[in-house]
Order: sequence, then structure tokens, then C-alpha cells
Amino acid sequence: MSAMKSTSSLGRKRSFFYGGREDSSFKRLLIHSVLIIACFIAAYPILRIISVSIRPGDRLLSTNLSLIPPDANLQAYTTVLFEKEFLQWIWNSLVITIATAMVGVTLAATSAYAFSRWNFPGRSVGLIFLLTTQMIPAAMLMVPLYILAIRLSLVGTYRGLVIAYSVTAVPFSIWILKGYYDTIPLELEEAARIDGASQLTAFLRILLPLSTPALAIVFLFNFTTAWNDYLLARVILGSQERLLTWPLGLQRMQGQFQTQWGQFSAASMLVMVPTMILFLLSSKFLISGLTLGSVKG
Amino acid sequence: MISLDLVAKSLTEILSTILYVVGGTILLEIVLYVLLVRFLKLKLAMPYMLLAPAAVGLIALVIYPIAWELNISFTNMSLRHFKVTDYIGLTNYLRVFVDPVLKQVTFLSVLWKTVLWTGVNIFFHVLGGLGLALLLNRKMHGRGIYRTLLILPWAVPQVIAVLAWRSEFHFEFGFPNLVLKSIGLQPIQWLSEPTWNFIAMCITNIWLGIPFMMVILLGGLQSISSEYYEASEIDGASAWQQFRNITLPLMRPVMTPAIILGTIWTFNNFNVPFFINQNELESSDILVTALFRAAFQYNRYGFSAAFAFIIFAILVVYSLTYLRFTGGLKGAFE
Amino acid sequence: MIKKLWMLLSILMIAAFVLTACGPQAAQPTEAPAAPTEVPPTAAPAATEVPPTEAPAPTEAPPTEAPMAAVTIQLWTKEGEADGGLQFVQGLTDQYSAMHPEVTFEVINKEVETLREDFQTASLAGAPPDLLWTVSDHAGPFTAADLIVPVDDMFDLSAYVDSAVAAVVLDGQTWGVPISNGNHLMLLYNKDLVPEPPQTTDELITMAKAITSGDTYGLVYNQTEPFWLVPWLGGFGGKVFADDGVTPTLNTPEMVATLQFLHDIKYVDKIVPAESDYNGADALFKEGIAGMIINGDWSLGDYKTTFGEKLGVARIPEVTATGLWPAPYTSGVFFMIPKGLDETKLAVIKDFVEFTTNEENQLAMVTTLTRLPALKVALDNELITSDPILAGSAEQMTVGTPMPTVLEMRCNWDAMKPEMQAVLADQKSAEDAAAAMQSAADTCITTLD
Repeated sequence: MSAMKSTSSLGRKRSFFYGGREDSSFKRLLIHSVLIIACFIAAYPILRIISVSIRPGDRLLSTNLSLIPPDANLQAYTTVLFEKEFLQWIWNSLVITIATAMVGVTLAATSAYAFSRWNFPGRSVGLIFLLTTQMIPAAMLMVPLYILAIRLSLVGTYRGLVIAYSVTAVPFSIWILKGYYDTIPLELEEAARIDGASQLTAFLRILLPLSTPALAIVFLFNFTTAWNDYLLARVILGSQERLLTWPLGLQRMQGQFQTQWGQFSAASMLVMVPTMILFLLSSKFLISGLTLGSVKG
Repeated sequence: MISLDLVAKSLTEILSTILYVVGGTILLEIVLYVLLVRFLKLKLAMPYMLLAPAAVGLIALVIYPIAWELNISFTNMSLRHFKVTDYIGLTNYLRVFVDPVLKQVTFLSVLWKTVLWTGVNIFFHVLGGLGLALLLNRKMHGRGIYRTLLILPWAVPQVIAVLAWRSEFHFEFGFPNLVLKSIGLQPIQWLSEPTWNFIAMCITNIWLGIPFMMVILLGGLQSISSEYYEASEIDGASAWQQFRNITLPLMRPVMTPAIILGTIWTFNNFNVPFFINQNELESSDILVTALFRAAFQYNRYGFSAAFAFIIFAILVVYSLTYLRFTGGLKGAFE
Repeated sequence: MIKKLWMLLSILMIAAFVLTACGPQAAQPTEAPAAPTEVPPTAAPAATEVPPTEAPAPTEAPPTEAPMAAVTIQLWTKEGEADGGLQFVQGLTDQYSAMHPEVTFEVINKEVETLREDFQTASLAGAPPDLLWTVSDHAGPFTAADLIVPVDDMFDLSAYVDSAVAAVVLDGQTWGVPISNGNHLMLLYNKDLVPEPPQTTDELITMAKAITSGDTYGLVYNQTEPFWLVPWLGGFGGKVFADDGVTPTLNTPEMVATLQFLHDIKYVDKIVPAESDYNGADALFKEGIAGMIINGDWSLGDYKTTFGEKLGVARIPEVTATGLWPAPYTSGVFFMIPKGLDETKLAVIKDFVEFTTNEENQLAMVTTLTRLPALKVALDNELITSDPILAGSAEQMTVGTPMPTVLEMRCNWDAMKPEMQAVLADQKSAEDAAAAMQSAADTCITTLD
């Protein structure tokens, strides 16, 4: 950040691109106030879910606006954790999601390499095809996917789900990785090959280490796709009680008319924990990675 | 609770999955190697071999369902014609445009609703994301905390966030109405009044979508070297001029993919319109929710297949046009 | 080179196309041979473990089953955990497995709509579950798509309450075995606020007005679902279908009167809140802000826990203008049997169904789930007649009317919902709404083909 004085201090707060400690205190106050309000808006609905989870009696709604209800208790949490199969669902989801992320990253890394480094017939078509897969309305695929899964005996197995998730996340992953690879000059690999390295070594030793940020993004994206998905899990795992992932499990808490709101909210909060941890750990990568891949347009 | 043998069972399942995938890939590669290198003596065998696993997966999981749906779209499949169907040619496609797609609302009005929905959301996403990014793009105390809190809407699983917002729009118990009542204003019927329901949908989606934009745009801002600003300051440029001539153009490579992806995802967003609209107001349905209802609530399978393809076609045309303008297909070898 | 690729792609697409075209038909041959196996009438009962009832006593005599081969029955149930239903089902299956060790059950809970969609999809793919425990209105879609089998020959249906069985009679055949009956709306009141229930609508309005102030409401109900409109329609003498049972009759003076009534108690008498869905009404009643609520028998257990002795149950009050009692829809939870099961499974299923609906288990259901049984003998039991809440529920049920389960009913529900909401939001007049309902329903009927 430049240490240059910002002489044009009369502009709107949004016009300062590299403000630093020289900003007037009024401006700083304004900026912080806006940010605090924004954070409140961002966090408030979540806080309300928390208050439903500590409110006894499955009362989703209440005229009481306070975030901590007068008769709050943690019973919903203990019930969910210890009396239901919640931990089992989380475990299932975790196992599937990590496997998906591993498979997905590998698939994307190799395929993006092909798109970035070679010009082969069908390349443009392939890239456009990948983009179009993002546009397919999911409802369209449910019935045929189920039929396909039964034919290939993928129903009720983790195998089917991991493959389905990886394939779902592949198009976006390839686009991001390809963009990132494009910013890394070919000369680096060529130099390595002149020195006698095989193509594989060049890929593994030169390109991949330089692409760590983009790989982290792809890992995160695969993770969240698999972690939060409901539709595919319902199609493939729908009839296997012991293999339920948490979205399917949470659905079970909703009855035809009655819903155990207390437990539902407690479970929702607990489910966010792994995602939040992952986001926090990788936030650095997230920001630089998402943009570096697109700088070249 | 969780029992040890269940843990063991799922671990074995996963292990077998990985072996299955790895084994299948190796097999595929061997076959391709023999075919392409030895047999056809292709020089460009490598990229195909690299792409093969992903291609196989995509063909199975994407092309097969699409082909199935295409087939169905030419039939009269519904509950009365469930297992045995008749081919009726392009009738379904015609019906999509002529008959109501839901109970009373027609295709064009839902299309218009969807375009409005997408436009409003993207506008505020970019505005809000850019605004927050600009604010965060400086040294300040608590920047990390702000960033973490502001990312919350993105980290929450969408279904949970949407259900939370739906409770907030409740007439008696939701936060906005309770606040309105305390100021002395009339509470709003968010869930039963068409206009307000649409606004409620937009509010929810805007809340959900700003963090993603903010993160991307912040990264883009950070990659702009401060030299440009310094140089322009020396030349006496005003803040607005700096914004228009430095920030915006240099942000374009970042904003373009974000906007195109954001547009597609908003256009196809199912969760928000579906769950905020629990009264099933037809005026609040966008194309994909109408499609879902046609397929699963009314079981008009053939009709909804045709409907799906028309939605798909619209998006394809849009994306192709956009891509042509921005040249997003180029690769490193060029 | 590009041309070659396009050719390859087109061949792939055509191949996939052809595969899919052949696809669905492939599932059919497996259905045909299984269909004729309608289980022959039950063999002479050997040992019985239940006190004599009219229903053919369930037998565990091995001779009627295949020789002790392990059988797994996949049961899909709409019962969730929230009201204890799923636990009850699992209890039953565990009991049965204990008596018949070679039979194992896989009980899978699915929400009602999910169950319908998934069953249809699974049947299409040729892999349906073995038994369904679901709501009566699924009979319509499942019979239209030809996915379940009629049960007239398999069970003695005279042992069950007539109105319960009538709900799943379509085209002269019965398509399910009733487990519980009711699912009907009734008037529930908080005795602290409303000591005596109103008998007529005029009384209702007067009583409610007395309690309604800025902070309290006289009456609440789910204003978003037409299920809550139908009782009043019956009270004004209307019906949603003509006598043929499949033609919608929504644009009638009775419907207009009903809509006008609901509109007026909100805007003229002002005894109901401006907006209130299921959860809202429920919360208001539980928090003691509403004196009376119109809710169904599924909520009885929950309210019993909250209010204990203070909970009162009564019939929805008689409509003063017509002198008729409002007629809420009664429906039930039924066993339905998918097509294409083999003999062994069918025998086990038959046995299990009879076990579940025997007197002992029916009474257990009454105590556990606070639901009215479908077995005639159980309904006359003291357990019900002595409990004020159950007795009140049974009283309401006697003036109820069975909910139509034909496929066309869906069109009625869909047509009524937005119009009802429009009237309650004061955006449409009752006459316009009724007319709009009729046209929507008519359009919908044409799309059913």
C-alpha cells in the first residue's frame, strides 16, 4: 500500500483506493460503521437460527425478539448429538466429501492441463460443453439419473455418489484451473524438458506446485458441492438409512405437519462448523486464487 | 451416536470407491493408449488420454440424462401414460409457448419474471460486492474479522439460509415486521402479496450473493498495482476519474467471469424462489421452479422435458454470445 | 479432423438416444410374470397369537410361507420422528422380526411428497420398494400410473371402518389397507380463554370477538392451505366434485358463501390475524395468544403435552346460515402394495399387514400416537370413549367426509389454493375467486392426459 498522501479527500468514501493511516478519522468512522452494519445484516439470520436452537419446545416462531430466549437451554444440541444419528450423518458426509474432493481435484488438474497446453480438435467444443453443463436445470436430471444409477448398480453406494459429485464439480474446476495454468508461461516447462525431464515430471514438479492457490480453490469448491448437496444424495442414497448424508438426515426431521425445529436448527448450526473452519483456513488462497486465474481473461 | 462398525463399513466403502475409480481409469488409459498411439499413431494422443476419465464421467452423467429427456420430450409421458408412452412429435414444445406452464401463468410472463429476477439480483450483487470490496481494500483494524463475518452468507448451506429468511418474512413473528410494527408502520404481507413476495425473494438472494462477489472483486482490486493511482494523482485525476479509468478497466477480466457465472447461477437458482414462496404464488415462480412444479407436482414429464430444453437453449445462446465478446476460450499456447 | 470429431459426437449422441429409447421398455418384461401371482386366499389359520377377532387371524405357521428363506422387506413410510410415528413403525417391525427371525425390515422414512415422487421414479426404473405406508391421496396417482395392486382379494376389508376403506376405492377396486383413520380438522380451544366451545358460527364470532384485543386473537388457523377451507364448504352445503367424482364444481354459490364467510371473519369481525400459516397459527395458540385453533388430529399429542387438562376438543361449529355441520375431510394412512412382488414377499407382507392392524396394535397406536384406529373393533374400545380428547376427535369424525383420492383432486387443491389466499388477502372478491378456481381446475384436468 502506498504511503502517498491522499490529497483528494473531498471525494466519496468509495473513491479511495489505497487509503491508509492518513485517512481522516471521520472517514474511518464512516467506513467502520458501514462495515459493522453490513456484518450485522450478514450475521443476523444466522443468529436467529441459533436462538431457535436454544429455545425449548420446538417453537420456530416467537414474538420475542431477544436472541437469547429467557428459558434457553442446550437440550436440542445434546439430543441431536447423542440421541440421533447426527454424528453418523456427519461422518458419512465427511467421508464422501473428502473422497470427492480428492477425485475431483485430480480429474480437474489433468483435464485442465490438456485444455491449456494443447490445441486439439474439439477443444473449443469441449470448453463450451463444460460451460453448458452449468446451465442444465437440475430438476431435469433427477429421474434419468436415478434410472441410470439403478442400471449401473450405483444406487445405495458411495461409489455412485462420489463419482456423481466429482463429475458435477468438474466443469467449474476445469475452467478455473485452466485459467490459472494459462497465466503460467510455457517456457518453464519447456526449459525443464530440455533438461531431460519427461512431460509428466514437468507437470508434477513445475506446473502443479505453482498452481497451489487454484488447486485449493478447486478443493474447496468440490468440498462444498459435495457437503451441501441434497438432490444427488436423495437420488442415489435415498433408500439407505445407514448411508445418509446430513442433508438427507435433516430432511427427516421435518414431518408432514410437525417439525422438530429446535433440533433442526441445532443440527443446522453444527453442520456449518466444518464448512466455516475450512473457509477460514483457506480464505487466503480463496481470494488470490479466484482472481489470478482470470486476469488473462 | 456413532458405532465403530458403521465407521468401519463406510471406510471400506470409500476405499473400494477409490480403488474402483483408480482401477477404472487405469483400464481406460491402457485401452486408449493402445488405440491412439499404437493403432492410429495419433501425435495428439496425450490430451485425449488426459481428458478421457472426465469425459467418460460427463458422458454418463450428463449426456445420458439429456438424451433421455430429449426422448421423453417427444412423448406424452405423464401419470396416465407412465410406463408406456406415445410419440407426439413437437407437440410439447408447442404447448410450452401456447398453454399455461403452471396453472394460469404463461411461458413469456415467467421468462420476463426470470429476466427481471436475474437483472435485479446481479445489479445489487455487483453494487454491494464492489462497494464492500472497495471499503475493505485498505489497511485497517479488524479487517480479518469483517471479512470473516461478511463471508457468512456464502458459508451457510443455502437451504438453511433460505429457511431462516423465510421465518424472518413471517407476518407475525419475523424481524422486519416486528420492527415495522414498533415504528408504528403497517406490517407487510411478505408471503401472500405478489409484489412483496418478489421483493422478499430478491432480498434473500442478494444477501446470499454479495459475499461471493465481494471476495472476487476484492481480489481483483488487490491485484491492481498502486502505481497506477500514484501516477494519476500526480496528473491531478479526481477520485471518480480514477475509478472510471483505472479501477473499472483493470477489474474487467475479473468481473467478466464473475458476472457470467453469477448470471447463470441466478437464472437457474432454485432454492430461493422455491422456498421463499411457500404459498406457491404463481407470480413468484421463475423458469426453473415452474419446471420443477411441472415435472414433480403435476407429473407432466413430457411437457417438462420440452420446457427444460427451451430454458437450456436460452442460456446457451446467452453464454455463447457473451463468450464471443470476451474471448474467454483462449489458452496458453496462443 | 473436426469433421471426424463431430461424427464421433453425433454417433455417441445417437447411441445414447437409442439406448434410452430401449431403456424404459426393458423394465416391463420383469413386471409381467409377477403380476398373476395374486396370493391365493389365506390358508386355514393354525395357531393364533391374538384374541379372536373377525379379521382372519394372522398366522406364523411355517407351512404357508416359503421354507424359512431370509426375506428382506423394504418399507417406505411417511411417518417421521417428530410425532413419534417413525418410532412406532420401527417398533412394529422389530416386534414382527422377533416373531419371525427370517424376516428383516428396512424402514425408510420419506416426507410425503418425496415418497410419492421417489416411488414413481423407482417404479419407472423397475426397482420399487416392497411395501408402502402412506397417505390415502397417493392412491390416485399410483393407480393412474399403474404402480400398485388392488387388495380386495388379499384381505378381509369388512373388518375396517367403512369410511376409511371407501377413501381408497377407485374404479370399483380397493387399493390399500387402512391403518389409521382421521387426519381431520377440528376445533381446539384453550379452556383458560374459552371455557365452553361454541356450537354455532354466530356463537363462535361472539365468543371470539370477546377475546380479541390488540394482543390476542379469538381464532387462528392455517390460512394458506385449502385443506382448511373444505370443512366450511361442507358446512355451506358444497362439494368440490360433481356426483361423478371427477368433474370439479368449484364455481358454486356454496363456494362463494364459504369464501365470503372466511373473508368476513377476518375483515368484518376481525377475529383472525391478518396473515397466518401453519406454524404461525400453531405458535400463536401455544403461546396462549389465540383462544381457539382449527387444527388436525396429528397435533393433538403436541397440544396435550403443552396444555394438559386445559385443552378442549370440539366439532367445528355448525354454520348458522345453513344449520349444517362443517365436514372436514377424513383420510387415513394406508398400506399400499407395489406391483411386481414375488410370492414369498407377498405372503410376508400380507402377514405383516394383518399383524399391524390387529386389535392389540391398533390400540397401541391410539395410546402412542393419539390417532383413531381403522379397525372397527378398536374404534368401539373404552380407551377412546373414555378419553375426552379422543372422544371429541371421534365426534368430529362422524360428521366428516372422506377425502377424494382420485387423480383429479390434485387439480382442485391447486386451483383453490391461490384463490383462497387472494380472497383472504382482500385482493379478489369471492365471486371472482370462485370463477377463477373453476377455470384453473378445468385447465388442469385437460393437462392430466
